[in-house]
Amino acid sequence: MLDILLTHYPVLTKGLTTTLVVSLSAIALGLVFGVLLAFGMTSRSRWIRWPCGLYRSFWRGTPILLQLLLVFYLLPEVGIEVAPITAAILTLTLNTTAFQSEIFRSGIAHIPAGQIEAARMAGISAWQTRRRIVMPQVLRLTLPPLTNEIITILKNSSLISVIAVTELMRVSEQIASRTFQPLETYLAAAVLYLAVNLVLAQISAHLERRLAGGLATE
Amino acid sequence: MPTADAITTPATDSRPIRGEPIVEARGISKSFGALEVLSDIDFRLSNSEVVCVIGPSGSGKSTLLRCLAFLEPYDHGSVYIDGQLLGYEERGGMRVRARESRVDAVRAPVGMVFQHFHLWPHRTALENVTEALRLVNGLSRRQAEAEGMAMLERVGLAERAGHFPESLSGGQKQRVAIARALAMQPRVMFFDEPTSALDPELVGEVLDVMKRLAQDGMTMAIVTHEMGFAAKVADRVVFMDQGRIVESGAPETLFRHPKSDRLQQFLNTWRERHID
Repeated sequence: MLDILLTHYPVLTKGLTTTLVVSLSAIALGLVFGVLLAFGMTSRSRWIRWPCGLYRSFWRGTPILLQLLLVFYLLPEVGIEVAPITAAILTLTLNTTAFQSEIFRSGIAHIPAGQIEAARMAGISAWQTRRRIVMPQVLRLTLPPLTNEIITILKNSSLISVIAVTELMRVSEQIASRTFQPLETYLAAAVLYLAVNLVLAQISAHLERRLAGGLATE
Repeated sequence: MPTADAITTPATDSRPIRGEPIVEARGISKSFGALEVLSDIDFRLSNSEVVCVIGPSGSGKSTLLRCLAFLEPYDHGSVYIDGQLLGYEERGGMRVRARESRVDAVRAPVGMVFQHFHLWPHRTALENVTEALRLVNGLSRRQAEAEGMAMLERVGLAERAGHFPESLSGGQKQRVAIARALAMQPRVMFFDEPTSALDPELVGEVLDVMKRLAQDGMTMAIVTHEMGFAAKVADRVVFMDQGRIVESGAPETLFRHPKSDRLQQFLNTWRERHID
């Protein structure tokens, strides 16, 4: 296994880089859209709530492999030509947006309504209230489930090998078929996935400790 | 002391003219589903006037205050702040719900203090006070902090400026909440049971701050169970029961010569509880 890591590290690193680029882009975009979708799902207007809920249900309720293939084959069908890596980022973003929005929605529900009323009575606008009063607390509250989702997306990004993106999983398959050492190769890949996720978990745990002060317990 | 005949006369009429009311409610009602919690309420609050609203729990007094601030939309009638209709707009002869920015603008003269403080836990005491100064009034950090410290001094909490709400006592939290409301220089302050969530030994420090505010001429509407405070500080006391204003008048009249059985009963219950 060590042998595989040492001899093939240039391609493995390249594959790992692609994995990181795709998953981290999807997670970052999903964060922005997830927050917006969460506010959509908690909107006062049912005309906003309903389509947001429908979106969430579709992307949460269908397998990610199927979503990848749908996006990959649907885009050319409507005349949009994109590189496989773009289709991959797009699909993972659409998917994680649904999951992250659910995480944020439950976080938003934990902020006492009175805090928002206090902000409104001080003249702070609805958007400023969301940005300055609600979201800072929601991000702290939801850090553990958010970390979970980041790790899930990183692992699920292995599925994008089916649409010919040469990320870590696909690189490993190529090495395995060339060296006839599948077990050693996949163990090496497992070590790399695990290493990245352990680092992410560490960062998250550190943030959680640092942000622990000043949290709501009413 | 006014005679019994003066009970129904609003206190404002027996005093020097104080000008137009800052807050005026005309015939407002509010239902939650089939339950009518406010029915046909008239309410006026004039400049520098302190009005305490008392009544049994479920009488609608908190709902009244929340409707006057449009935290609860009222169903019928009108609420005016400084002569402007709050929460609704007339458009083509029809009444429609006003945009949030319009609601914010009309109720800008109103500051509010809640039973459960509702401080923002991720902000220090000082930041709770400066947040709106920066976001709404656009002050620089330095200006806002200078102003915020002045407000915290006013409630006697300057030395707690850097503390997060979780490390403050209930009384201190409520005083920070008062400073937060005062920072926006309201012309009128609403207090929704400001001492009901406090340990008994912490009630005094909050009432002291409120008493000083009243002496400084602040216009105040206070929903409270503190009869002693109402008797001492209020210009007028309003007694509510079952979503209606049953009696209203100067505190000495209302407490010594209640006209209605309901108020008599309410006061008796209160006295029994506070004698033993």
